[in-house]
Amino acid sequence: MGWDLLKSFLVFLLIVVGFIFILLLPREMEITHHGGLVFTADFPFTFDLFKEKVQDFIHHFQTEKGFGENKMGVPILEELQTFLQRDLHIIIPAFFLAIFFGMILGIIQFYFREKWVGRIQAFLSWIFSSIPDFFFYIGLQYILIKLVANGYLQMNLFGNDDWYSFILPMIAVTIFPMLFMMKFTSTSLENEVGQDYLRTARSKGLQRLFILKHMLWNCWPSILNQAQFVMLYILSSLPIIEKLSSYQGAGYHLLDSIFKNEDVRSLAFMLPYLVFMFATVVLSKLVKHWLVPIKSGALR
Amino acid sequence: MKIITFIRHHFLFCLGMLMFLILLFFTFFGEYLPGIDRDLKEIEYIWTDKKIPLAPPFEPSEDYLLGTDRDGRDLLSLIVMGAKETLLIIISITIIRYLIAIPLAFLAHKKSLGIHHLVSWMNGFLSYIPSIILVILLVTLPPILTSETRLLYLIIVLAALEVGRVAEMFRLEFSQIASKEFVTGGNSIGVSNFRLFRKYLLPFLYGKLLISLVGDIGKVTFLLGQIGFLGIFITQVFVQVDAGQFAFFNTSLAWPMLLLNSYNDIRSAIWIPFFPALAMTYVIFTFNILSQGIQKLAK
Repeated sequence: MGWDLLKSFLVFLLIVVGFIFILLLPREMEITHHGGLVFTADFPFTFDLFKEKVQDFIHHFQTEKGFGENKMGVPILEELQTFLQRDLHIIIPAFFLAIFFGMILGIIQFYFREKWVGRIQAFLSWIFSSIPDFFFYIGLQYILIKLVANGYLQMNLFGNDDWYSFILPMIAVTIFPMLFMMKFTSTSLENEVGQDYLRTARSKGLQRLFILKHMLWNCWPSILNQAQFVMLYILSSLPIIEKLSSYQGAGYHLLDSIFKNEDVRSLAFMLPYLVFMFATVVLSKLVKHWLVPIKSGALR
Repeated sequence: MKIITFIRHHFLFCLGMLMFLILLFFTFFGEYLPGIDRDLKEIEYIWTDKKIPLAPPFEPSEDYLLGTDRDGRDLLSLIVMGAKETLLIIISITIIRYLIAIPLAFLAHKKSLGIHHLVSWMNGFLSYIPSIILVILLVTLPPILTSETRLLYLIIVLAALEVGRVAEMFRLEFSQIASKEFVTGGNSIGVSNFRLFRKYLLPFLYGKLLISLVGDIGKVTFLLGQIGFLGIFITQVFVQVDAGQFAFFNTSLAWPMLLLNSYNDIRSAIWIPFFPALAMTYVIFTFNILSQGIQKLAK
């Protein structure tokens, strides 16, 4: 277990370094003035420039003893803390809701798979998983705007000032990973059908619900492996949904800083995302270790 | 009678095909339909009943079925005229992705040239970093940003990003087939690797290939939509807007480009991002249904 975690940590470090190198590739525009009103713009892309940027980057960390300040003179870490807190309001509930409800819905879907309830559920989930989250969000906004304009509803649809601001973006990023979890859970339960231990359990007169519990325990390893995907999906969609809803979180500012070529700031906003991913990997490994002490399949 | 039974048995396939044909019809013949403005005329203002000039964008109305954009161009015409470009980009991204991924999958399966390490590293990297962030970082690199053939580079970047995922999927398939006896037989009579790939392994994968290729078209459409929201141009011109100031301007009609300004539009003229996003959702739906339909058909 310890070796496994150490290996994940090394991979994580390599990925961070790889990301920094891609981030530091030169992409600035250089404007030269030739006198009068003659200007030319150029995008230099040479290895020397890249080396210079890497040196500057290291130098920045050496002199500032940390991330330093942004252009407004606010320490980046301070700025990051505020924005990250807003992000956490979305990421944490979205992650656990997606996993928890996804699994519950998957179990329900599996339990009723032969009945019309299950068929309707499968159909609906399939339709919803085909809708891209940005369209879902815009559609929701369209309806809410019409409702607010006609006076049926009074609420702030954009921004991050109200206590309920995080709910709309959260719903938009939760739906797809939740449906994915649901589909995955029901598929892996269906794969268990026909195993010998189920016949034994049934022959001894165990109730269906208890049998389900046994099946679920066998599915844990493959279900928990999906946690990383759920987190990745939430983190990929979050910046865009934040931008659409002007919810000023870390994702919003990550995009902003990348487009403005502020390398240090981009890294400061990207690092927490990478740490979230790493934490998800570690967490799922730990939970797996705790729930399934024996390697899956070792008993069969 | 036979047709009706076929439709009843393969309802999803038929529905998907029908939606696909409708999509193709609007893509290729849409511009000749009445009510479609082929020149995409811009309107500076219209007079209201009270003789007040009104500037675009105009809401959906009888004159403009889906409203107009900020230049006063009819949104329905824009969507129809942009369909060809959009579909071309989406389909070429998907096909290029599979053309690269399948040979990679075979090489990774054979563990030759260290491709299996490359594939697993690509997958590891992309399971940590959201692909859309990598897209932004890569397409803003100067060689791609200022290139004359920017569209081609953009397509290759978008295709290459998920090559690892597809290659890994097919590597597993290859390993599964390779454990069968006829492959051992082939190996024992000494067929070359290329022949093994072409005649022994690939024929078993045509069905799976088609299903996952059609399903991937939906994913590519989704990624392309995200690019639109982020304001990355597909094709562009670089001009000097003022003394010493330069900017890029969008020259593409593709649907994601109608989402460029959605940050502002969603607050004032939500129909501008809504209908292009709806059109993209239709494409995703069509190909998802088709992929499911083909899967059932193959059974």
